[in-house]
Amino acid sequence: MNDLSELHEASTPSSRMRDEIRRTSDASRARRMTVSRIMILLCGLALAVSAVPLVALIYELLRLGVPVIDKTFFTTLPATPTLIAPNATGGVSNAIIGTLVLTLYASIMAIPLGVLVGVYLSESDSKLAAALRVISQTMAGAPSILMGLFAFSFIVHDLNVGFSAIAGAFALAVLMMPVIIISTEIAVRGVPNTLREAGLALGAKPHKVSLRIVLPAAISGIVTGSILAVSRAVGETAPVLLTIGGGFINSWKPLDPVSALPLTIFENAKSEWPSQRAQVWGIALVLVAFVFVLSLSARIWAARKQRVNN
Amino acid sequence: MSETQATTSQPAPSRDPGQSAMQLKNVAVAFNGRVAVRDATFDVAKNRVTSLIGPSGSGKTTLLRALNRLHDLTPGAKVSGQILLEGTDIYRGDLTVTELRTRVGMVFQRPNPFPTMSIYENVVSGLRFNGIKKKSILDEAAETSLRSAALWESVESRLKVAASNLSGGEQQRLCIARALAMDPEILLMDEPTSALDPIATLRIEELMTTLKERVTIIIVTHNMQQAARISDDCAFLLMGEDRAGELIEFDTTEKIFNNPNDSRTLDYTLGRFG
Amino acid sequence: MSEILNESIVELELQGDHVAGEFDTPATSRTWYHYVLIAGAVIFAAVSVGFVGTIFWSSLPTWLHHTSTLLTGSAWSSPIGPFGGLAMIVGTLETSLIALVIAVIIGLGTSIAIVYMIPARFRNIVATLVELLAAIPSIVYGLWGLLILAPWMEKTVNPWLNSWPFAHEIFGNSGQEFGTSLLLASIVLGIMILPTFVAISREVISVVPQDLVEASLSLGATRWQVIRKVVLPTARIGLFGATFLALARATGETVAVALVAGGVANVQFHLLYPGTSIAAWIASEFGESQGNEIAALMALGVLLMALNFALSLVSRWLVRRQRKVLALV
Repeated sequence: MNDLSELHEASTPSSRMRDEIRRTSDASRARRMTVSRIMILLCGLALAVSAVPLVALIYELLRLGVPVIDKTFFTTLPATPTLIAPNATGGVSNAIIGTLVLTLYASIMAIPLGVLVGVYLSESDSKLAAALRVISQTMAGAPSILMGLFAFSFIVHDLNVGFSAIAGAFALAVLMMPVIIISTEIAVRGVPNTLREAGLALGAKPHKVSLRIVLPAAISGIVTGSILAVSRAVGETAPVLLTIGGGFINSWKPLDPVSALPLTIFENAKSEWPSQRAQVWGIALVLVAFVFVLSLSARIWAARKQRVNN
Repeated sequence: MSETQATTSQPAPSRDPGQSAMQLKNVAVAFNGRVAVRDATFDVAKNRVTSLIGPSGSGKTTLLRALNRLHDLTPGAKVSGQILLEGTDIYRGDLTVTELRTRVGMVFQRPNPFPTMSIYENVVSGLRFNGIKKKSILDEAAETSLRSAALWESVESRLKVAASNLSGGEQQRLCIARALAMDPEILLMDEPTSALDPIATLRIEELMTTLKERVTIIIVTHNMQQAARISDDCAFLLMGEDRAGELIEFDTTEKIFNNPNDSRTLDYTLGRFG
Repeated sequence: MSEILNESIVELELQGDHVAGEFDTPATSRTWYHYVLIAGAVIFAAVSVGFVGTIFWSSLPTWLHHTSTLLTGSAWSSPIGPFGGLAMIVGTLETSLIALVIAVIIGLGTSIAIVYMIPARFRNIVATLVELLAAIPSIVYGLWGLLILAPWMEKTVNPWLNSWPFAHEIFGNSGQEFGTSLLLASIVLGIMILPTFVAISREVISVVPQDLVEASLSLGATRWQVIRKVVLPTARIGLFGATFLALARATGETVAVALVAGGVANVQFHLLYPGTSIAAWIASEFGESQGNEIAALMALGVLLMALNFALSLVSRWLVRRQRKVLALV
């Protein structure tokens, strides 16, 4: 190999290089540190800016929404203001009942089926399972108006049911299903394999293990997913806009047209009556409060489950 | 336990401060009030390999990371005492932390080349961070440091290739080259071979004996035999009853392994615990 | 809200194997459980096929006879036609891209701040806040945009923008001030997709291994240099994934844009003028449409679906690749 001294020379940096390194790095140091401080500051500024819309929005919701809400808000049907009675907006009981009805029917359709498919995806290796996984993830991110178009085409039009609660519920169910499928699969997969193996080792049949051991262990993840799905469905306007018709009565019948909270906001936001525009803030506040409560409960539930598992 | 509580603070043979690369005086590190290591007092001699040895939990790595101020990253960490680099206190003296780190380099336990950079770019990354752009300097630094790390011949034909293509041992030597490119006075090494296979380990140990002519090396190792093989001086640390590590003894490797002053040192080197 | 699931989605893909269970048993000992699960899967498969198929089928008349009109026509004439979708396509692209720029610039800084500036004990609270922001229904953003921001834009911001030297060219100038405009829609959209971007980019940035950060600091790099030259490049692929997902969400937003963009079907390049987007137009026109117009709206729906699916798939592919890159490090 090489002569040891040659090696030594080749691997020792020249003093010219060493000087230049020291010099350049010292000279640029102050500038580099200043740039660093400024950029970090800008990042902090970005964080502050991100918070502004949230704060502003919640402020306006409270400021404009609270005065509008009273007992009649929840219990009376809407009315149309007239020149003589410009503040006669009535309440939004139809929309509240409507939202409840829609959510109920949608959950009945989406949750059992969604959980079923979620379990299937966790247990099966087939091509169908792989395809459904991609499909449900893609649908989870799809624009909600497409669900409205689907429900309109199929339920309202083809099946000739017309604008109705069931059509709206169908659209919302299609919206909710992918979310429930995904979170169910995650929850079931999250159950430690040792539990499963223990059950099988005791001689239990695989499907009994799934039903008696795995599903109960996964239940909190499933519940979390369902809560998130419901919270999303409650707030969506587009799917119901095309399907429910907007009824002015309190109705629980699936074939009747209904109203919904987001729809009422959409209809009245551009109203010429200031009283109706003011009322809309109350509806928005109720909606946001409801969605926040659901989201926070989902989070707390999930965190509790984490602690129990640990 | 033993009656002799020898905490030697002078290396033997004693040397004047001019021959010390770094001096530690009563250095202690605490996290949120809980002391992790304390009372470390010794001088690191220039162009020698100083190893920090001791069982796990004795605070060796914590102490090492204080030497290039990596604890600045950890909220709640407090380093007390004095750490002098050529007479300047690295925490309270007139030395910016970035400048300190160009003079005191570090190699980590797991090889960590920057994944999005090529071999060449990895080696010169330190220079680029410090504002050096001239190609001739970068090229020269790359070649000398890769040669010093005994990696040049292996990679000279593929400098633009991604660093992740190298084996574990080669990646670690790349990290050594990267640290050397900055021409530091001291190279800190935190268990640099513990993630490598025996052959790679041996090559890096060989490397250290040649490297010490260029840089002073301070190495943390939990492998006693390694310390005995490669280091000139040894600092033995042990976790005390309050779960804080402390320096038990500092001396030449020869003395520590053959005739230590403290019985705990003897117990450790004889493999009685650790 | 799909942000919460996104990380888990990628984890799912990497897990691969199914869990031991019913589907491992030989065909002879299958039980009702097996068949029930398969039935569920088949039903969902049918629903998803129906989802795509029904919309496409309803739009067939348009594709068969009026494709070029839909894609290039600039006028939408109810109720008989022609139905030109160019204005909606252009509007979608304009608003989504500008929203994306806003969201990425502010969102990147926000993510960096969250990972490197917020102390660990507060990170949970911040993550919750981001989730809550994402959970606010789009109708509420639309309402806020319409009743609060639009008047402010009309009275304050637009006149100021119009006074800039090149205002004519960028913003258009008819002497009229509009509150609801493409610009406002872009801003509101940007605010809406910001949490999506931040949720993913924050996660991608925080999993860059700490020892890379320490290694670069040990070479004398400043904090910003570490972020810019080591952290962001390492997280690059995942950041692109976050960008595509945010863009996908922007293209699909319906009611917020419907309320604040002005709802005018003109091919419009001047941002202070009203315009529309595909989704917003479908939402506002559907109520009173019949026959051919419905087919045309369905056709717009097909376009939207194609765009959204493409962006989603690219995004998920990117986030998956990012995970694999980091697994090698």
